[in-house]
Amino acid sequence: MQRIEPSTPFESNRLSPRLSARLSLRISKPILLMCLSLAFLLPAPAQTPLRVAAAADLEPVLPPILELFHQSTGIRAEATYQASAMLTTQIMNGAPFDLFLSADLSYPKKLIDAGLADAAGSTDSTTPITYAKGTLVLWTRKDSALGPPSLDLLRNPALKRLAIANPDRAPYGRAAVAALTSLKLYDALSARLVTAENIAQGAQFVDSGNADAGLISLTSALTPRMASSGAFFVIPRDLYPPIQQGAVIVTNTTQRAAAHKFLDFLLSPPIQAQLAKSGLTPVN
Amino acid sequence: MDWQALALTLKLASVTTVILLAIAIPLASLLVLGRGRWLAALEALAALPLVLPPTVLGFFLLVLLGPRTAVGRGITAILGHPLAFSFDGLVVGSVIYSLPFAVQPLVAGFAAIDPALVDAARLLGASSSRIVFTLLVPLARRSLVAAAVLSFLHTVGEFGVVLMIGGNIPGATRTISILIFDQVEALDYAAANRTALLLLVLCFAILAALYGLRKRAAWNVWGWK
Repeated sequence: MQRIEPSTPFESNRLSPRLSARLSLRISKPILLMCLSLAFLLPAPAQTPLRVAAAADLEPVLPPILELFHQSTGIRAEATYQASAMLTTQIMNGAPFDLFLSADLSYPKKLIDAGLADAAGSTDSTTPITYAKGTLVLWTRKDSALGPPSLDLLRNPALKRLAIANPDRAPYGRAAVAALTSLKLYDALSARLVTAENIAQGAQFVDSGNADAGLISLTSALTPRMASSGAFFVIPRDLYPPIQQGAVIVTNTTQRAAAHKFLDFLLSPPIQAQLAKSGLTPVN
Repeated sequence: MDWQALALTLKLASVTTVILLAIAIPLASLLVLGRGRWLAALEALAALPLVLPPTVLGFFLLVLLGPRTAVGRGITAILGHPLAFSFDGLVVGSVIYSLPFAVQPLVAGFAAIDPALVDAARLLGASSSRIVFTLLVPLARRSLVAAAVLSFLHTVGEFGVVLMIGGNIPGATRTISILIFDQVEALDYAAANRTALLLLVLCFAILAALYGLRKRAAWNVWGWK
């Protein structure tokens, strides 16, 4: 009995398996050769850079320091800027960072407790190394109808939208809520708060004019863009617990020596002086 | 479980879908029936929201809707409040963000209809709107369902735009995708898993019900045979 193969209109157009295999070989050979020759043309891979996971408030601060570090030690360092919480999640899930510069102490401490990071080399290897302190400022645009920023501005009923960073996780957001609570303004203002994912986005909300004022980092307020478009008022330091920024070395790093060098460099007097100019309070 | 965020997300997706269909049906009809070189530019423009990363699109919207542009000032003058950080603002953002997901299936569906039918209708004196609503839409009803489903789901899963123009206000702009992100960021993976699972189960149920209905031959969105 003859077997009848089911056929589709497409079947007659199909190539026999042997023919298509030959064809694909014929196509892939030149492509393969091209890839191989490209691989030789590419420059030899340089030494893997030191990968730094850095809190969002360091974005305006760190790039020149990385450049200086490269000049003085020959070690190339690259930074990834994110909210400290996001970076912590990423490191917990194996992100290939060597060093973590957080905007607070709680996130690096979490990593130490999880056995994923350490502060080896410092007096206490289970406490993150404080490398700077953050400053909270109230910022408004120069063309704001509310006038220049001050604590009185926070009591002004015309203030409809106040931008803060997420207080559940962003260190500057926590500080903002603490300051508003100390001023006994939190309950009055809570319905008017708009919450940004991190402190850099908080700056965006108020710089774009969508929020009337913002409690942001001094590092953002001192960037050329924000400095030219607005004015800031430093929130008195006794109104919120200090924003201590801590660093840890990711335990799995293959570049521990380079990471230590970077930390020493960051804590050295000239670099600490540079941090002060960028809006962070030096610790040394 | 934050039911408020879930309800808000479903409301946002429903409102957005209705508005998108109201925009996309005439737009797709114009693109298919119309003539002129500028239509190609219009079609390209309607596909552009796919190109920009959602957070970048959100950033542009934030600036556009803010008081520093004439558009933003005009909207604020009409509504009495700025669009950013409000539910209405999210609707505007979602409509732009999901526009290609409504337009593309409709254009494909309308274009697949035999042009002879359209010509015949025109010869018999049918107006353009009559051609659209008694010919194109009923014949392309599967595309219409696809456009609605894609718009709805794409808005449910929207994150970057909401993150940028929302401001995370409970009941107004904290959608379920923002809530899940918050829970992950707070390292509360158990809560994030629960919320994400709820969202997946719910959307699966909606889709399965819809596709199940479509399988029944008698069913027809517009009630036409």
